[in-house]
Amino acid sequence: MTALPTEKIDAVIVGSGAAGSHFAARLAQAGKRVAILEAGPARKRNDLVSSMLWARRLKGAAAPVLETGKNTVGYGFNAGRGVGGATMHHFAVWPRLHENDFRVKSLYGRSRDWPIAYADLQFYYDRVQEECGISGNHEKEPTRPPGAPYPMPPVPVAEQGRVVAGGFEALGMKVSPLPLAVTTRPYRGRANCIWDGWCDAGCPIGALANAETIHLPQASAAGATLHPDTEVVRVLTSADGKRATGVEAVTQDGQRVRVMADVVVLAAFTIQNPRLLLASATPKHPDGLANASGTLGRFITSHGAAPLFGLHEKETTPGFGAFGGQLLNQTHYDDKNAHAEKGAFGSYQWMIAHALKPNGLLGIAPSRPDLRGPALSAFMERATRHMISMTGVTEDEALAENRVTLAKRKDVHGVPLASVAYTSSKASLALWDAAIAEGLKVFKAAGASEAWNAPRAPMHIMGGTVMGKSAADSVTNSYGQAYDLPNLFIGGAGLFPTSAGVNPTFTIHALAARASEYLIKNWSSATG
Amino acid sequence: MPKVQPPHPTRRELLRAGGIGLLTFSLGGSWVQLSPAEAQAAGVSLSVLTPEEADTLAALGERLVPGSREAGVVAFVDHQLAASPADCMLMIQYLGVDPPFAPFYREGLAGLNAAAQARHALPFAKLEDAPAEALIDALAEGEVEGWTGPPPPFFYFVARNDACDVMYGTVKGFAVLGVPYGAHIMPPSEWGEPV
Repeated sequence: MTALPTEKIDAVIVGSGAAGSHFAARLAQAGKRVAILEAGPARKRNDLVSSMLWARRLKGAAAPVLETGKNTVGYGFNAGRGVGGATMHHFAVWPRLHENDFRVKSLYGRSRDWPIAYADLQFYYDRVQEECGISGNHEKEPTRPPGAPYPMPPVPVAEQGRVVAGGFEALGMKVSPLPLAVTTRPYRGRANCIWDGWCDAGCPIGALANAETIHLPQASAAGATLHPDTEVVRVLTSADGKRATGVEAVTQDGQRVRVMADVVVLAAFTIQNPRLLLASATPKHPDGLANASGTLGRFITSHGAAPLFGLHEKETTPGFGAFGGQLLNQTHYDDKNAHAEKGAFGSYQWMIAHALKPNGLLGIAPSRPDLRGPALSAFMERATRHMISMTGVTEDEALAENRVTLAKRKDVHGVPLASVAYTSSKASLALWDAAIAEGLKVFKAAGASEAWNAPRAPMHIMGGTVMGKSAADSVTNSYGQAYDLPNLFIGGAGLFPTSAGVNPTFTIHALAARASEYLIKNWSSATG
Repeated sequence: MPKVQPPHPTRRELLRAGGIGLLTFSLGGSWVQLSPAEAQAAGVSLSVLTPEEADTLAALGERLVPGSREAGVVAFVDHQLAASPADCMLMIQYLGVDPPFAPFYREGLAGLNAAAQARHALPFAKLEDAPAEALIDALAEGEVEGWTGPPPPFFYFVARNDACDVMYGTVKGFAVLGVPYGAHIMPPSEWGEPV
């Protein structure tokens, strides 16, 4: 194992997922001395075993997250454990946010605005898209905001996708190829996907754009060091409280160490970033670091997943393809009031025709919890050949009262656990209801012999360290730079002021690309 | 008896849940709050379940998912309960229950046996088909009289998913269904057990 730096370095990065690995690659390539501290274990490619049982080792976290409120954010399911973080089990569905997602307050008078517009991010979306590789067809995806064509042809559509597409078309709605950060041909030295549907277990062949495939190798080649099993327990600040000075961490053998750096990049996942900042309070920052606004921990959002299942007389070979799906529908995306008559607010999209394995939380058997005994056996026999599926990604209104605070209970290192109070708004719940109603109609129109849905479930976690135009009501500026500590940068979906109704990872990367470029250009003022 | 914190599942909600819907619920991380010594005692045993618990789990698993007894539901759960939380492959780790998970199973299985004893003066594993199925119905509906374990429908779903995992989530399980496995990396063993 590489020894931790004992002298002050340029940047210490907490977390090795999408944002952390991206920052590490860019800063190291700019000549900075970089160390990445990762709480979880290192893995070899052979550890990414094709099994929905083995896949569970990629999720969860060492310390539990306590949940209160009427809804949950599903931390254990959404978070990642180990090098690469949640990218190692993410499904690589990479749509862009739309222009209206950045201006929710201005356009609709609710939630919040982002401090940037789509136009500010377009260049970075294009750059990340080229670097990581996205499969799709921008001409057949009329709802996609402006940008460069996808660098790879779209994911193949199999019978499951064709069947569900027929339902959308019968209702006058168009489907597009699903933009996936998965290779459909050899790309920049990476093999192409063979569509065997094991994305959730981690892609060991480099076809899916996770941190182990894209940015961690770049960071390593440029001299950054990676330190697994090293859990950061505190962000350190100077005596005058004006600067971050490094972090305190606990190594695998239980030693408490300090890594000092000119810049601290906090990229430890949505709930853990505010937890660490709250737990790092000092007399100069009595309410937690970067919390002069009182906004730290607030505006937690989670997409309400709208999972639809059905059976069709055609053989759909549902075990194959990509976990994320084959096709996309965003018919109503650009009108957040499309279902206002039902009290709903927000955008949503459909990810269509997932690869479905027999077991696992998203699998075939758990989709019908009411079946057991011989009825379950018969269902499994049929469903593994005839199932169809899609999932709605529904926007979640950003509310200040949905927040992370510190619990009284502490973890083994003495750090208070995160407690998440989370209750979705009525408008967000109504949006999910509207999406489900539409989805069931689509499956009926597709000729499904049976169609059913699972309850609303939390998918992706955003907010808690939101960016904004003003230090008075946000934690960071649009670069993720903390207003109160200019050499502290935050990465990840925690920066999102609103959830939008699309998957977050592409936007996490675009923000990290923009922020790391800004940091490199403004190094002296950030650290000075 | 620690209280389940809100949001707690109602039985109707849980019966409709399953799958990703189980994420809708959280036991608030407060289902079990063990002292470190208790936690260690629960986590380090190499064979966690007692013979009686194993019999109960095998019988429950087989009724929920036919074939799961032979597929090794007891060995699977026992092995995972003995593993460190980081190596654990049980679905329960996503579901808002604090590790170690053994007390959850222990109390659920004890609750099932206690109900079988109260109803029929027999352990669950010895029940005939009709009374056993009626008790499972009550479990799924959350209507088990005198129950003291984890929320009964929640326990039903966890046990059902474990039985599904071991029956359908392995190379052998795919073969039973006639579904090609198509691994990138073949599992070195079905669920991490020594080979």
